Amino acid sequence: MTEVTLNLTRKDFVSDQMVRWCPGCGDYAILAQMQRVLPELGIPKEDIVFISGIGCSSRFPYYMDTYGIHSIHGRAPTLASGLKLTNPNLQVWVITGDGDGLSIGGNHLIHTLRRNIDLKIILFNNRIYGLTKGQYSPTSLPGTKTKSSPMGSIDPAFNPTAVAVGVGATFIARTAATDVKHMAEMFRRAAHHKGTSFVEVYQNCLIFNDGAWDYATNPKTKHENIIYLEDHKPLIFGKNKDKGIRLNGIHPEVVSLDEVDESELMVHYEDMPDGSLSYFLSQMRHERGMPEPMGVFRCVDEPVYEEEVLQQIDLAIEQKGKGDLQQLFYQADTWVVEDESSGQNGSNGQGGNGSVPTLGVDEEYVGVVFNDEASSEPYFSPTDTLSTLNPRQPLIASQDISLGEAIQKLHNLDVGLLALVDDNGKLAGVFTEGDVLRKVAGNVTDLDATPVKDFMTTNVTALKEDDTLAQAIHLMSIHKFRHILLVDDDNRPVGVLSSRRVAHYIQDNFAEN
Amino acid sequence: MGQKYDLQHERVKHLDLTQYSQVESGTTVGETVNKMRAEHRNCALVTQKGKLVGIFTDRDVLHKVVSSPDAWNKPVDEVMTPNPFTVTEDDKAETALLEMNKRHFRNVPVLDSNGHVVGNLTHYALIKFYADQFPEALYNLPPNPNQISDSRVGG
Repeated sequence: MTEVTLNLTRKDFVSDQMVRWCPGCGDYAILAQMQRVLPELGIPKEDIVFISGIGCSSRFPYYMDTYGIHSIHGRAPTLASGLKLTNPNLQVWVITGDGDGLSIGGNHLIHTLRRNIDLKIILFNNRIYGLTKGQYSPTSLPGTKTKSSPMGSIDPAFNPTAVAVGVGATFIARTAATDVKHMAEMFRRAAHHKGTSFVEVYQNCLIFNDGAWDYATNPKTKHENIIYLEDHKPLIFGKNKDKGIRLNGIHPEVVSLDEVDESELMVHYEDMPDGSLSYFLSQMRHERGMPEPMGVFRCVDEPVYEEEVLQQIDLAIEQKGKGDLQQLFYQADTWVVEDESSGQNGSNGQGGNGSVPTLGVDEEYVGVVFNDEASSEPYFSPTDTLSTLNPRQPLIASQDISLGEAIQKLHNLDVGLLALVDDNGKLAGVFTEGDVLRKVAGNVTDLDATPVKDFMTTNVTALKEDDTLAQAIHLMSIHKFRHILLVDDDNRPVGVLSSRRVAHYIQDNFAEN
Repeated sequence: MGQKYDLQHERVKHLDLTQYSQVESGTTVGETVNKMRAEHRNCALVTQKGKLVGIFTDRDVLHKVVSSPDAWNKPVDEVMTPNPFTVTEDDKAETALLEMNKRHFRNVPVLDSNGHVVGNLTHYALIKFYADQFPEALYNLPPNPNQISDSRVGG
C-alpha cells in the first residue's frame, strides 16, 4: 500500500439520500458529528462500513457515503462480526438503539462485547421505541407511561454501561447528542480503540419521549447532574467545579469541595484492569441522586478476537494443509435428490405484480411534529426569518475575474465574502477571506494570471431570505460558517449575513427584553 | 429570568474560546499562516513567554500579506496588531460581548488573572452559547437547509 494523504472532508461522507428523521430528532446531531470525525481518521471511504439493525437510528447507513448494511432487527453486531472476521482491514461501525441493541438483539450485543472484536458500536439511547410509535423500551424508567404501559411500566430499566462492564467490554463511553463537541471526541476515541468500543449516546426522541434526558442536557442544570470523566483526575463536577465524588466504604457519595479536600476524592483511571471502578461509575444514576458520568468509563488493551481467530486459522492450515470444502460436504452420509418432473411449488396465487402494501400513517400523530412551536421562550425566536436580520447586499463579481481582482475587491471594501456569478447572474461560487488565508497566501505568485475560479468554493450551502434564524445558527455553530450567503429562487445572490450580524441580532433583541 | 438572566450570570470562561492559534513572537508570517491552516483557525495570538504581544488574523493576511510576497518570511510581529484590546476570563460575558460589539472587534483575546492567554472571544462563542441553549431547535436540523418533510418518517 502506498501512503497517500486523503484530504477527505465532511462532504465526502454525506450521501445523496434525503435524511428522513423527524425535525428536531437527536439523530441529526449524531450524524453530523460522525461526518465530521470520519475525515480526520485518514481511512479511505471504501474501507469504512456502517451496519445497523432496525429502528429510527438504523437508517444511519443510508446517510453515510460509505458502505453500509441496514440489516436484521438486533443482528447488526452479528453481521458486523462476520464482516470484520472476513475482512479485518475494514473499520466497522455498528449503529443500534436501546430497543434494537438491548432487547431484540440483547444477546448478540452482549457476546460481541465479550469477544472484543474490533467493532465500534454506537447505541442511540432514547428510552423508547420511536419507529413503532412509542412503546416503552428496555431503558425506559419504571413508571414510564406509554401506549404499551398505560399505567406506567413496571420493568426495571436496563443500564447499558453496567451491562458493558459486566461482560468485560474493553472500551465503554457515554455522551449526549446535544453535547456535540464531547460526542465527537467520544467517536474519535472509539475509532482509535483496538477492540470493541461501546458508546452510549443520550438522544432525545422529540415525538414519543421528549425530555427524557433533560436533566443531563439542559444547559441550565446539566452541570449539576452530570460529571465529565477525565483520566487520572479526581471526580469533580458542578458549574463552578465545587463538588466531588468521595468513596464512603463501598459507596460513592457527593461531597462539597468547600468541606472536603480534593485529595480525598475518587480518581478516575480508564485503564484499571478490573471493572470495579467502571462499575461504580455505571451505578451513579440520576434517579439515585448521583451525577451521571459522561466520557470514557474504561479503555483497556486486551487481545483482539479476529487476530486470534486468524492466527488459529493460519496454524491449522500449517498443520493440516488447506481444506477442501466440497470434499467436506461429501464425506458424510449424503445423497443426490433427483429432479422430479413437475416441480411446481404451491403458490397461493398472490403477488406477481409486486404491489407492496403501503404503510398506513398514524393519523393521531400527523401534524404533531410540525405544529411544534418552540416550547421554551427565547427572547428571539429561532423561527425568525433571515430577512428580519436585514442582510447586507453581497459583493458580487463575475466568476471569470482573476484572483488578484477578487482579492482587491475584498481588500478595498474590507468585506469577508465575494459572491461569484456566471453570465446569467446565477451563483457559481464564493471566495472569502478565509480562502485567502487557507489556500492563496504564499501559494500563488502571479495573482493576476490566476483565475479566481480555481480557488473559489463551489457547491455553496446558501440560504434564502425566508429560511429561519435557526438554520443560520445551525450552520454557524456546527459548521463554523462565518458568512452565510442568501440567494433568491433563481439562485442569484441577494444578501449576506456575517456571524457578526447574527451575533448582534441575538444581542440586540436580548437587550430589548 | 429567561435568557437575559443567563448571559448576565455567565463568565467569559464559560463560553467557547477555542477559536485561535498561538505562536511565539518572532515566528515568521509563513509559519504562522501554516499553523493557522493546520489548526483551522482564522486568528493567531502572538505571545512572548505566555504574555500576549499581538494579534494576527485572516484580515491581516488579506490586507498585508497576500499581495506582498516579501512579507512571508518576515516575523509576524511586523504585520500583527500589537497590544490588542483584551478581556479576562472572569469578566461578565455580557459586558465583554457588548464591549466587543461596540469596538467592532471580531477577536478579543482572553487572559487569566496572571495575564496569560487562555482563549479568544469571537462571535462564534456567542452563537455557540445560544445554540447550546436551544440544542434541539438548532443542532437537530437536517443537513440540507431546503429540505422540507411533509410527513413524519421513521426507519
